[in-house]
Amino acid sequence: MKRIKVAVAGNPNSGKSTLINAIAGTHLHVGNWPGVTVEKKTATFKFDDLTIDLVDLPGTYSLSPYTQEEIIARDFVVKEKPDVIIDVVDSTNLERNLYLTIQLLELGIPVVVALNIYDEAKKKGYEINTNAMEQLLDIKVVPTVATRKEGIKELLQAIKEIANSPDKFRPRILNYGADVENALKIIENGIRQSRKELIEIYPIRWLCLKLLEEDERVLKETGFTGEEEFLKKAKSHILKAQEEDIESMLAEIRYGIAHGITQEVLRKKDGARIDLTQKIDKIVLNRYLGIPIFLAIMWLAFKLAFDFSQPFSDWIDGLISGPIKRWATVGLNALNSPEWLVSLVTDGIIAGVGAVLVFVPLIGIIMFLMTLLEGSGYMARAAFVMDRLMHSIGLHGKSFIPLILGFGCNVPSIYATRVLETERDRKLTAMICPPISCSARLPVYVLFIGAFFPANGATVLWSLYILGIIMGIVVGFILKNTLFKGPTPPFIMELPPYRIPTLRDLRIHTWQKLKHFLIKAGTFIFASSIVFWFLLNTPYGVEKENSYLGKIGQTLSPVFKPLGFGNWQATSALITGVIAKEVVVTTLAEIYVPEKKEEKEQPAFSEEIKNIFAGFVSAVGEAFHNVFSGFGISAWETEEQPGELQNKLQTVFTPLSAYAFLVFVLLYLPCLTFVFTLRAEFGWKTLGWVLIIYLILPWITAFVVYQGGRLLGLE
Amino acid sequence: MKLSELKVGQKARVLSINIKGALKRRLMDMGVLDGEPIIVEKVAPLGDPIDIVVKNYHLSLRKSEAEEIEVEVIE
Ligand SMILES: Nc1nc2c(ncn2[C@@H]2O[C@H](COP(=O)(O)OP(=O)(O)OP(=O)(O)O)[C@@H](O)[C@H]2O)c(=O)[nH]1
Ligand SMILES: [Mg+2]
Repeated sequence: MKRIKVAVAGNPNSGKSTLINAIAGTHLHVGNWPGVTVEKKTATFKFDDLTIDLVDLPGTYSLSPYTQEEIIARDFVVKEKPDVIIDVVDSTNLERNLYLTIQLLELGIPVVVALNIYDEAKKKGYEINTNAMEQLLDIKVVPTVATRKEGIKELLQAIKEIANSPDKFRPRILNYGADVENALKIIENGIRQSRKELIEIYPIRWLCLKLLEEDERVLKETGFTGEEEFLKKAKSHILKAQEEDIESMLAEIRYGIAHGITQEVLRKKDGARIDLTQKIDKIVLNRYLGIPIFLAIMWLAFKLAFDFSQPFSDWIDGLISGPIKRWATVGLNALNSPEWLVSLVTDGIIAGVGAVLVFVPLIGIIMFLMTLLEGSGYMARAAFVMDRLMHSIGLHGKSFIPLILGFGCNVPSIYATRVLETERDRKLTAMICPPISCSARLPVYVLFIGAFFPANGATVLWSLYILGIIMGIVVGFILKNTLFKGPTPPFIMELPPYRIPTLRDLRIHTWQKLKHFLIKAGTFIFASSIVFWFLLNTPYGVEKENSYLGKIGQTLSPVFKPLGFGNWQATSALITGVIAKEVVVTTLAEIYVPEKKEEKEQPAFSEEIKNIFAGFVSAVGEAFHNVFSGFGISAWETEEQPGELQNKLQTVFTPLSAYAFLVFVLLYLPCLTFVFTLRAEFGWKTLGWVLIIYLILPWITAFVVYQGGRLLGLE
Repeated sequence: MKLSELKVGQKARVLSINIKGALKRRLMDMGVLDGEPIIVEKVAPLGDPIDIVVKNYHLSLRKSEAEEIEVEVIE
């Protein structure tokens, strides 16, 4: 069986990942903004007697890369010698996309053009003559609608044909004019005489062009200085005739060809209606309303998430602390398990993991909303609106995208920094991500808000999110003036049209993000709940205060005295929370295990099941009621009784010290996964700074909050 | 006149890009070429960046870059 390597290249946001998902059934990340895919990913599948490795590449506007992720794309098509390139072209934007197509043809590799997003082009009244296009470029052209899986068969058929007789489909050379072609010949001869080995590595025509353009990366890679005799000769040949620099001249030649082809094949039917995107932008990017709308969208999203998820969280809470705990106890007792094992399972694992699982509905909905936001096209607008502000801390509007993603989880933010142009930008952005409040911190907030601020939960929560953003800005500002001096890079970005994300993408990507949280609960948090149970219960039989964890907590607690929570419980929870922020809740749940109640009557099994279902049904009703009951009081502001754990917390915290504690949790050390990822992307030095910053910053901030609050008489 | 001086809704043609190096290349790759017609669509709420339509798509760039692009009004 034959195996071929197919590169999927194209402009950013042209639908490359969507197309591969449609072909191979993969779950590659899709979003409606340029720069979603930041590393190459391979999807393997079979078509008839052919095994095809489809390689999803980051989008790129040209083969002269400008950002990190574009370098990845270029290096792949240039050096890995794919058998075929699928060039995914956004049909609504033909000319700019063809500019890349023309450069891909310089590589001498067979190219198939997928005229994607054909549906929107048709809606706009565009008619594209694909036959004429095939003839002009001498390659295969297939209209596709990746979101609806249209044109996939034809595309695969074309690839198969090429795979069977590749030489027949080597692209024809597009003539760049006598001056350039002569210069290219001189360079080619020069290379053949002095550096024959390069021909094995690089496609020859492409290499000659890049040397002519004086492409910095290619010069560096090949070791040419640009001053070689044959290069000088070639360049003087052109410069005699032209005044411009050669790079610009070549860009104009290529765009000239792209323009010519577009003129020939594209016909626009007059339907000049203002499109929806323009209408939405009129409001969303309005001079005065733009920023309020941005804040309102974020606020509304979170409010909906809380109101809708709260009944489900209650239901899960009841399920875990009620029936599941009871069943586990009964089961373990029936097996004659020792007392400590029963305690480990119920007070350790079930209480610990359960405390985190309660938040699955909330986090699920937040992830859903993030996916919706990513798919809508608003992400790029947020970058546009915020650029001015980001500029003042030495960053880029585009840095705002990783930061927004950080509200879901900070780890993807690190990868998302690859859309930025310079290493400095990427590091600086990654270093201000930790204070962006990820969803893993929510469990801690919600627990304490229920205990101490039942009446103004929403305000307290908002204050934390805003504080996180402000601290990010502060850190950014300080870093810009110390570690990262230097000019801010320019902001040049495409704004895609608004789109409605497909149900498939919503479902898959929400699940992918939520899955990460569930896996964490099943591994990290499961394991640490066991470890911490032991640390809390050994030496066996002593008071928890005198357990190993208690001792550690007591030793370190003076550090937190000035912050208002110098008790061993809070200290231990903070120590364990370094693993992941949810673990703070897990540990507190284990510390404050409910007293053993008198053996209540075990309800009958069938009775329990019935109650569980009834509970779920009423939770659904309540959730919808919450959402539609207007924006007055949110559900958890009216929460009836704080739970048992919350009652206990009230004995060691005051509202003020609880708030200081939340501030500390918000800002202190990022979780382990973040630490590992950051090191892998940026190395030890960046990680070292992050650890130092986020040990000092939270202490100072919480100190100011607590002592300031005391001065104001808030305690 | 400079691109940064255009008012919202004004159509113009690019005369020259007075930037060097990678940034110029990038602008050209994205379709901002000499002779290219453009329209200023919007200005961001905080006054910067601006949103222009070039080659039939929306491109945003900062005023500081727009200052380096020479244009002539065509309508
Ligand atoms: N209407 C329509 N939308 C499409 C089509 N193909 C993709 N999209 C949408 O276009 C947007 C971009 O899709 P992606 O697959 O993420 O694009 P990409 O080329 O991988 O983008 P980068 O990874 O950022 O370079 C998403 O919102 C898709 O839903 C299509 O055929 N028709
Ligand atoms: Mg992609």
